[in-house]
Amino acid sequence: MTRLLAAAGILVLVSAPLLTGNPFFQHLMIMVLFWTLLGASWNLLGGFAGQVSFGHAVFLGIGAYVTMLSYLSLGLSPFLGMLAGGAIGAMFAVPIGLICFRLRGPYFSLATLAVAEIVRLVALNWEQLTAGPMGLLITQLPPLSFAGATVDWESKIPFYYLAAALALSAMGLTHAVSRSRLGAYLTAVREDIDSAEAVGIDTVRARVTALALSAFIVGLAGGFYSLYFRYVDPDAVFAISLSVEMIFIAVVGGLATTAGPIVGAVVLVTIAEFFRDRFQAGHLIFYGLFMMLVIRYLPEGIWGGLRRLLAARA
Amino acid sequence: MESFAQSVVSGVLTGSLYAMIAIGLTIVFGVMRIINLAHGDMVMLGMFGAYWSYTLWGIDPFLSVCIWAPLMFAGGMLVQRFLLKQVMPKGELNTLLYTAGLSLLIANVALFFWTGDYRTLNLDYAVMPARPFGISVPIPLAIAFVMAIAITTALYLLLSRTDVGRAMRATAQNAQSAALMGVDVGRIDMVTFGLGTALAAAAGVLLVPSLYLYPTVGEILIVKCFVIVVLGGLGSVPGAIAGGVLLGLVESLGAVYVSVAYKDTIGFVLFLLVLLFRPSGLFGVGKS
Amino acid sequence: MALLEVHGLRKVFGGLHAVSDLSFALHRGEVLGLIGPNGAGKTTVFNLITGFLAPTAGRVSLEGENLIGLKPHAVVKKGIARTFQVVKPFRNLTALENVTLAAFLHERSRPKAEARARRMLERVQLGERRGAEAVDLTLSEQKRLEIARALATDPKILFLDEPMSGLNPTEVEAGCELVRQIRQDGITVILVEHHMRAIMRISDRIIVLHHGEKIADGAPQDVVQDRGVIAAYLGERAV
Repeated sequence: MTRLLAAAGILVLVSAPLLTGNPFFQHLMIMVLFWTLLGASWNLLGGFAGQVSFGHAVFLGIGAYVTMLSYLSLGLSPFLGMLAGGAIGAMFAVPIGLICFRLRGPYFSLATLAVAEIVRLVALNWEQLTAGPMGLLITQLPPLSFAGATVDWESKIPFYYLAAALALSAMGLTHAVSRSRLGAYLTAVREDIDSAEAVGIDTVRARVTALALSAFIVGLAGGFYSLYFRYVDPDAVFAISLSVEMIFIAVVGGLATTAGPIVGAVVLVTIAEFFRDRFQAGHLIFYGLFMMLVIRYLPEGIWGGLRRLLAARA
Repeated sequence: MESFAQSVVSGVLTGSLYAMIAIGLTIVFGVMRIINLAHGDMVMLGMFGAYWSYTLWGIDPFLSVCIWAPLMFAGGMLVQRFLLKQVMPKGELNTLLYTAGLSLLIANVALFFWTGDYRTLNLDYAVMPARPFGISVPIPLAIAFVMAIAITTALYLLLSRTDVGRAMRATAQNAQSAALMGVDVGRIDMVTFGLGTALAAAAGVLLVPSLYLYPTVGEILIVKCFVIVVLGGLGSVPGAIAGGVLLGLVESLGAVYVSVAYKDTIGFVLFLLVLLFRPSGLFGVGKS
Repeated sequence: MALLEVHGLRKVFGGLHAVSDLSFALHRGEVLGLIGPNGAGKTTVFNLITGFLAPTAGRVSLEGENLIGLKPHAVVKKGIARTFQVVKPFRNLTALENVTLAAFLHERSRPKAEARARRMLERVQLGERRGAEAVDLTLSEQKRLEIARALATDPKILFLDEPMSGLNPTEVEAGCELVRQIRQDGITVILVEHHMRAIMRISDRIIVLHHGEKIADGAPQDVVQDRGVIAAYLGERAV
C-alpha cells in the first residue's frame, strides 16, 4: 500500500511542473519541497532521536554562505558549492554536537539556540567575510547544459527538479536510517539514554552521526536557498524563526515518520504561501495554531494519525 | 571613569526590568517545570496594552500598570486552566513545543492587527533625563526601576509570608508531596502562571516608555530571559534578579568596552558556558 | 589474577563519603553478593564500576585493563553488563526490540541480532512475550527482560542491582534458579540484594558495606555471624 502511494507520489512529483505554467504554483511546489527537505532532516535528529534542536538554521546559513562565497569569491560551480555547503555544515555538526549533547532535554534545546544565535551574530558582524547585514547577492548564475539543452535559470522549472531531487534524497536517507542499526540506536536514545548506554550504545556517537547527516542535508538546502533566492543575509538564513518552522513542519506532519514531513510541508507551506500572497502576513498564525492543535489532540502528527486510522481499518 | 559609572547605572536599571521578566519565567518553571516560550509575548501584550491606553485614553503607563497587571493575571490563569493543563501530562518537550506554538500565535495575531511598525511611547515629562552626579538617568527608566523593586518586594513577601506563597514553594520542591499535604496543585499552577504572566505584562508596561514596541519583540526578550534564568539558576527568584542585573551590566559594559557589535554574543557565550559547566546556575541554586 | 580488581575506590559528594576506600576482588565464575543497610553505597559502587559515575579516587581493572574514565557503553564493550535497581526498559518498544538493541553490539545485521535476542528471551523464559511492549509486562517479566538485555551483550560479568526486590516468593525462587544458570553458562555475577535468604543461598561469597566502607568479606555463614555486621544492621545493643 505504501509502495503504491510512494510510486504515485513520485509520478506526481516528476510530472507536476509540466501541468502548470503558473509561476505562483511553481513557487509553491518548490517551497513545499524545500520545507519537506528541511523538515525531513530535522526529523532525523528531532523525531527519531528525540533531540529537539532549536538552532538547526545554523546549518542552513552555513550551507547558504559557503555556496554563495565559493561561487562569488572562488568562481566555483554553484552545485559543487552546494555540496561543499553540505559537507562543511556536517563538519560543524561535530563540535556543535559534542558541546550540546552534554545536555539533555530542554537544556539541549536552549544550547542549540545559543549556538545558532552566536553564529548569526558572528555572520552579522564579520563583515570582511560575509558582508554583514548587507548580505551577498548573485546576479548571474553560470550557464549550464543538461541533456543537450541549456538550462534556463530564469524559469522555475530547473529549481523545481533540483528541489525534488534533494527532497527525495532526504526522504530516502531518512528511510534508510530508520531501517538501519543507527536508526534503532537513535530510538533507544530517545527512549532512555542511560539504558542505551547500558546496552553498549555509544549514545554521543549515535547522536553526533545523526546530527551530521541532518546538517549535511540542511546545508545542501542552504545552498539551494542561495541559488533560488540569489540573496542571503544573516537574518534571513540564521533566523530563529527558520529553526522553529522546521520543527513545526516535522511535528505537525508526524515525528519519526518518513512521510510526515511531506504532509507537514504540504499543509503548512500551502497555507503560508496563500496567506502571504493575499495578506502579506498572518500565515504564521496558522503555524502556531496547528502546532497547538497537533500537540493537544494529535501528538503523532497528521501523517501519524492517518497511519493509525488506516491501520485500525485494516 | 564617568563612562564606567554611567554604564553601570544604565546596566543596573535595564537589568532590573529584565530581572522582573525573568522572575515570571523562573517561577513558572520552578512550580510547574514548564519553560514558557510565550513569556516574551506576554511582555509584548503588556507593552501594547500600556501603549493603547496611553494613546487612546491618555492614561500614564505607570498608572495603567494597575489595570493591565491584574487583567493579564486573569488571562494567564485562563491560559493555564484551559490550554496548558491538558498538555502538561504529555511531557516537558511537548509542552515546550506547545508554548512555542502559542508564542507564534500571539505574536502573529498581534502583527496582523497592529502591523509591524515600530512604535514609541513618548511621555511629556520624560524628554530630559535627570542628571544626578553627572550621570544621565532617563526618567521613565528610573520610575520603572523603583516600581520594579516595589513589585519584586511584594512578590518576595507573597512567597515567604503567605499561605499561597508557601504552597507555591512546596509545589516547586515536590509537587507530589505538596499534593499529599493538601495543596491544591491545580489551583497553585493557575495562580503561578497568572503571576508569571502578570509580572511579564507589568514589566512590559513599565518598559514601554523606554523601548521600541513591535509585535515580535517577544522573540528577543524570551531569548534574553533564557540567558538570565540559566545564569541565575532555573527556578530561583534571587537568581533571576542577579542574572537580570548581570545581563544588563554585561550588555551595557560590553557595548562600551568590547564592541557594540559583539555585545550580544558575550551574553550567549556566557550562557553556553554556564549550561555546560554550571547547569544549576552561576550561584548553584537552580534545579538541573 | 582475579577477573575484576577494585582498589581504594572512593566517591565523595560534597561532604558525604558515599564510598570510602573500597577494595575487593571478583574471581572468575563466582557469585559475589553485596549487602548492607540502606544508604551503604551499594548502588553507588555499581555506578562507579560501570562508568555511570566518576570516582573521586581509586582503581578498577577488568582482566588487568583499567575501567576508570570509560563511558558506560565502553565498559559494556569490555564485558560488564548491568541491570538497574528500578527497571528501565525501553518502555514503548517490544521485548524483542529491547533485547535486539543490545544484540546489535555483537551482530551487525538485524536478522542476526533478532535471532540472538530471541535466544536470550528464551533463556529467561520470556520467549512467548517477545511481541509485548515493555510497558505492558509485569514487574517480574520486566526484570527478566533487563537481564536478557544484559546477557545479549555477551558479558563476562553481570552486575545485578536488587533483582529480587518487589518479587513474590515463587518469583524469587525462579530468580535464584536463573542466577545459578547464568553462572553455569560461565558468567561471573555480582549482585546487590536485600532479600537475605536469596542472597545467602546463591552467593559463594558476601561483602558487607556500611556507610560506604567494607566491614566484612567472606563466606555467607561467616559474614552473618560477624559482630560488626550484626551491629550495623541491628545496632550495637544486639551484639
